[in-house]
Amino acid sequence: MKYLVLLIGDGAVKKWSAHTEEEQVEVMGRFQAFDRACRERQGVELLAGEALSDPRDATVMRTPDGKVELTDGPYAEVIEGMGGFYLLEAPDLDVVVELLQVLPPYDIQIHPTVDVTL
Amino acid sequence: MDDLEQVVQQEWGRLVALLVSQFRRLDLVEDALGDAVESASRTWPVDGPPEKPAAWLLTAARRRVLDRLRTEDVARRRLPVLLTDAERHQEGARTMADSGSLVEDDVLRLVLMCAHPALAPESASALSLRLVLGVPTADIARLFLVPEPTMAARITRAKKRIVGAGIPFAVPDASVLPERLDMVAQTAYLAFTAGYSPGTGPDLLRADLSGEAIRLVRVVLGLRPDEPALVALLALMLLQHARRDARVRDGRLVLLADQDRTRWHHDEIAEATRLLAAPSLAGPLTPLAASYAVQARIAAEHATAPTTEDTRWDRIVGWYDLLLQVMPSPSARLARAVAVAEDRGAAAGLAALEGLEIPDSHRPAAVRAELLSRAGDVDAARAAFDQAIAACRNDVEREFLVRRREKLDAPS
Repeated sequence: MKYLVLLIGDGAVKKWSAHTEEEQVEVMGRFQAFDRACRERQGVELLAGEALSDPRDATVMRTPDGKVELTDGPYAEVIEGMGGFYLLEAPDLDVVVELLQVLPPYDIQIHPTVDVTL
Repeated sequence: MDDLEQVVQQEWGRLVALLVSQFRRLDLVEDALGDAVESASRTWPVDGPPEKPAAWLLTAARRRVLDRLRTEDVARRRLPVLLTDAERHQEGARTMADSGSLVEDDVLRLVLMCAHPALAPESASALSLRLVLGVPTADIARLFLVPEPTMAARITRAKKRIVGAGIPFAVPDASVLPERLDMVAQTAYLAFTAGYSPGTGPDLLRADLSGEAIRLVRVVLGLRPDEPALVALLALMLLQHARRDARVRDGRLVLLADQDRTRWHHDEIAEATRLLAAPSLAGPLTPLAASYAVQARIAAEHATAPTTEDTRWDRIVGWYDLLLQVMPSPSARLARAVAVAEDRGAAAGLAALEGLEIPDSHRPAAVRAELLSRAGDVDAARAAFDQAIAACRNDVEREFLVRRREKLDAPS
């Protein structure tokens, strides 16, 4: 099963800009630990993962009536604070939830992907 | 109970677990087993029951699933199937905290899947009753006071979500198993308390269906006999359930103090008392297990008092003090205030209520009204009753409060 993991909000973590330098190092360490935990876990593969730029840099593309319309900003309130994502191959939801506890306690949306190839 | 009913009641969960583990198609298994039971209800009375009734049902259900699979189109076959722990461990798939027989592991997998924390609690509860015990959807709907189609849709959605979200049919590592069994206990208790939330008319209480929640706990205890949360919960449920026949008279709720104690089920009270002495409750407990154990001890104080007057309210206040340490909650504070009032008088009870609020609940105001009325402060009591009546959403309870308020106005 493939999961898109969206780091959707700061949750129990304070804003990045409010972290001291040592705290920033600690947080980065947890991302590295998550990478390691995924590598070491049987049946788990981290397919992609990136940090995202400021949500104000995001563009929403809509195509009503066949004409492309672009608007600035994130699609909806729920992803206003999205800070990053992973694309993860994992055996099941329990394994994903267990591994994500290695990360700082962000609010996270776990969304299975579907196979659309025919 | 005939042969078929008996085998369905005893074997449903095991059959579902076996079929789920073989086919991993949560959407087909229940219907296939239902069809098998329906077919048995036609043939068994004519041909006589088979020698191995459970095996007969399993074979018949398997055949139904295979028929369905054969007729399915390609697109359907590409949909995700239920995940099992075989995916997690290529070898040594059966890493269990305890060794048990394979069949029992499958039932445990089923129980844990139905009570998964990623499901909404009411869905988990309904699904557990349906898949583990085979309780008919109509009965589950009655238990949770919703129309049958609503409940059927809720159960279907829950099954879809299990497959779609990747909730596994699996036993987790020993490190998380106690937490997950706590979820199972909470799921069962939710079903139990649903039967005691007042409805209307002949369905004032649905205690018969609360009994199914007790059966669910017994099934899980059969697999994990010393699990403290389940031992304590069974004791708590038995003590509450033992009073079922005395709780309703002439279509109205009867308060504990006014119940006919000869109508309590004293065999169940005795079983609960034995459970509370179990060695598994003497060791360290999770907060949930500890809270069930303390609530059961409170219920046991009531259940073993020969008359209302003999109730040891001093000891009950002590148990509530402990409960507030183990798992503080506004409703425990409220119940403690009631016990304090019984033990030390209305004024002490009112003092214990000071500052207590429960959002969207009429209960703090209702208790305050009772205590003010007892203390002789009629005007303040009337105001508190008004407040409680305005906040009360349940018809039966509101009617009860209105009657209490009228009594206040009647010349004594």
